Amino acid sequence: MTTQEAVRKEKKVMLVGLPNTGKSHTFNNLSGQYSLVGNYHFTTMEITKGRFEKEDSVYELLDTPALSGTYICSREEVIARDAILNEKPDILVQCADANQLKQSLSLTLDLMELGIPMVLCLNAIDETAKRGIWIDSRRLSDMLGIPVVESVATKEIGTQELKEAIHKAGPARGLMTYDAMTEENISTLMLKLPADMEFRRKIAMLLLQKDEYISGFIEKKYGQNIARDISSTAELLRKNCEGSFSRILSLTVKRRVEEISRAVMHKQKILLEEHSQRFSQLCRDPFWGLFILSGVVWMMYILVVDVANTVSNWMNQYLWFPVSNQIDIHVHSLFWKEFLIGDYGILSMGLANAVMTVLPILSFFFLFFNILEDTGYIPSICILTKRVFEKFGLSGQAIMPIALGFGCKTMATMNTCCLRSPKERYITAYLIAFAIPCAAQMGLNLSILGRCGVKAFLIAYITLGVAQVLAGLCLNKVLKDDQKSDFIQEVPRMRMPDPKLVLVKVYYRLYWFLKEAVPVFMITAVILFASDKVGLLGLIKQITSPVVKNFLGLPLQMVDVLIVCVARREAAAGMIIKLVQNGTLSVTQCIVAVVLTTTFLPCLAHTVALAREIGTRKAAEMMAIINVSSILLSGGLYWALVFFQK
Amino acid sequence: MIEKRDLDECLECLWHMKEEGTVLVSVLRQKLGEEFDGNLLNILRADGLIELSDAGEKVELTKAGSSAAQLFIRSHRLAETLMHTVLGDISEPLACEFEHMVIPEIVDSICTLLAHPRECPHGKPIPEGECCKHASVNSESLLIPLTQMKIKQLTRVAYIHYKDEQQYHKIESLHISSGTIIKLLQKSPAYVVECEDSNIVFDDEIAAQIFVWKHFSPTGALISTEAQ
Repeated sequence: MTTQEAVRKEKKVMLVGLPNTGKSHTFNNLSGQYSLVGNYHFTTMEITKGRFEKEDSVYELLDTPALSGTYICSREEVIARDAILNEKPDILVQCADANQLKQSLSLTLDLMELGIPMVLCLNAIDETAKRGIWIDSRRLSDMLGIPVVESVATKEIGTQELKEAIHKAGPARGLMTYDAMTEENISTLMLKLPADMEFRRKIAMLLLQKDEYISGFIEKKYGQNIARDISSTAELLRKNCEGSFSRILSLTVKRRVEEISRAVMHKQKILLEEHSQRFSQLCRDPFWGLFILSGVVWMMYILVVDVANTVSNWMNQYLWFPVSNQIDIHVHSLFWKEFLIGDYGILSMGLANAVMTVLPILSFFFLFFNILEDTGYIPSICILTKRVFEKFGLSGQAIMPIALGFGCKTMATMNTCCLRSPKERYITAYLIAFAIPCAAQMGLNLSILGRCGVKAFLIAYITLGVAQVLAGLCLNKVLKDDQKSDFIQEVPRMRMPDPKLVLVKVYYRLYWFLKEAVPVFMITAVILFASDKVGLLGLIKQITSPVVKNFLGLPLQMVDVLIVCVARREAAAGMIIKLVQNGTLSVTQCIVAVVLTTTFLPCLAHTVALAREIGTRKAAEMMAIINVSSILLSGGLYWALVFFQK
Repeated sequence: MIEKRDLDECLECLWHMKEEGTVLVSVLRQKLGEEFDGNLLNILRADGLIELSDAGEKVELTKAGSSAAQLFIRSHRLAETLMHTVLGDISEPLACEFEHMVIPEIVDSICTLLAHPRECPHGKPIPEGECCKHASVNSESLLIPLTQMKIKQLTRVAYIHYKDEQQYHKIESLHISSGTIIKLLQKSPAYVVECEDSNIVFDDEIAAQIFVWKHFSPTGALISTEAQ
């Protein structure tokens, strides 16, 4: 950074908006960085930071998780609101879906009351014409008193205009006012708030609306006594209020939203039903939905098993074997030969395992998974499976985190914070941690089982499914009942995925895999190599032999796999593929190995997320239960398979 | 000169105080402002509608007073709900007029037409009437819970029985609220409605809390006479 750059004041720009309104796309366009995007709610669960420049100004950009309003309905929204209250951004950029303007306008009016300069970014403006909607953005800007920018974030259209608007953004005009009584109540409470407190009007309003989280926020900043004093004044004012404060405010806001949308939004009266809508309905239908779901699983199976495995075999044959042969010929020292290409060789088990075996499988799986994500198909699975999850005492709200577990278990676990009921949160976190394979593992499992035939695939996945159902039913019985979370959410509109965006996402997922996992693969190989040389590995194998060999019916090489599994599941799966290829594992053992590695020990990032959501003690207990269940399940499966084979 | 209307207002005010948990005459004086007259309380006590403490500091509604005040409150809040449901807005002076004019049978009929709402649009509870005790929605009701609607039908939301404030905010943020036009797309495995150009999914419990117009014409008339 030059001296001139250093003296320039960095302004903080925060991206906010309802779920699925293109915040992360806008973040990527403005900052030139890449943050994961998806066509479903709460893809972003943490604050992501980036930077951009406009003329002589430097802006720090913050992408936040979704926010439906400054009043907090569930814990996942606290992240975004607290970010606004703590970070005190200089400019707020609200991303809105132009096709659902009314929903976003309520949030706009709500956020404007914070008094922060604001810009409204109307995303997906290209889709409005198709849906017979026309928005007069200039009039909208006049009525709101803030700049409004039209944008197609997925195609990077409108980014320069947005930067321009951010650069020129000033205080908002045309703020909301309420009836005299309400204004008086707000003013009375504002006088009670500490003089140095920011956003006093908004905080007073939230207190009057009985927002559960705002008192905690005040307590953290100003201590228990002040918080208690403020809360009791708010309580008194609430009592004297003619009705619920929230309803009174919202009646006024709603009138204003109607007034604005009537003036700026024009709709065609006749509109043909969109094919995507029809397809979306079919995906949620109890009959056709299951039919489509089976088709999706079948396509995934074909792609990963037939195509990816062929590519992987080809890469091993033409790219790795010649290299390993050359090393075999030219390196004469047995020690170095083993270190490089032996059973625990840094190149064979580390690099080749990651690049030649795992990478092609993940490439195809991510390609398919990203297409599913971008079409907005995943929420349909949540609706379809709702009745099943009800049997576990879970509301529909809990299904989305579970479905997200098939992508990344860590993010899915973080998503459980949207559940109000501790019981639901525990069961959901358990089910995510137990028998759900994450995207990477799912792809590799398919590849392993596909080598043994469809029957093996069905046995393994039916076992995992049954285990999941039993675990859900047991937890529902054992845990004490509490208030279930409300299940109400928007179903994202299904759309044709943009091939470029899908490929970019595949690229980044693979890039992150290579960046994070390859060093882990190689370090694990070195550790195993060293442990083997000093005899530690042999000792571990000897100790665990009764369980691994006698109970689980697996060869002792599986101990290596389980050790690697702790470091990185993909590495473990890659090792299983090698064991299948060299004939060490029979079909039965292969099924047991997949079930064991899927359910055994969550990865490190997942464990940390689990401890954060349900507490360290409960997380430790859960891990112990999961590991015991995993061994019992795998052992039981082995003996059942042996019994039926007789 | 104290008129009947002043007595009604006083009873209504005492009901509000009961909801707030206060019995002090000083609070009543503050609430009524210039309209407060010491004789008001004497007349109401003589009619057996209130009880005054010996020192005259505390005032409470008797059983008969409670019943009378309840009817005013019920009428007022039902009038607000009716206006909000039909017109989409509330006229406070009109609701005040209404509460003094209606008789219990008419109030019960309005309550039945509206399928026995539990809260006024401001979120205050509507006291239960006789009609509310004998089950809920019947053929006279113009409003029905969403669970009784047919798939593909278009309707307008009349009101929602919210469980708590959090649920209110959550549903409100998705723009399902009084006056919104919705189309029921499916009922199973979960309810899905089309609302303000988006699809919203929710469970059976929430569907039962949403009350909609039984007959609705998208051309403008709220109640389709043809359908009736």
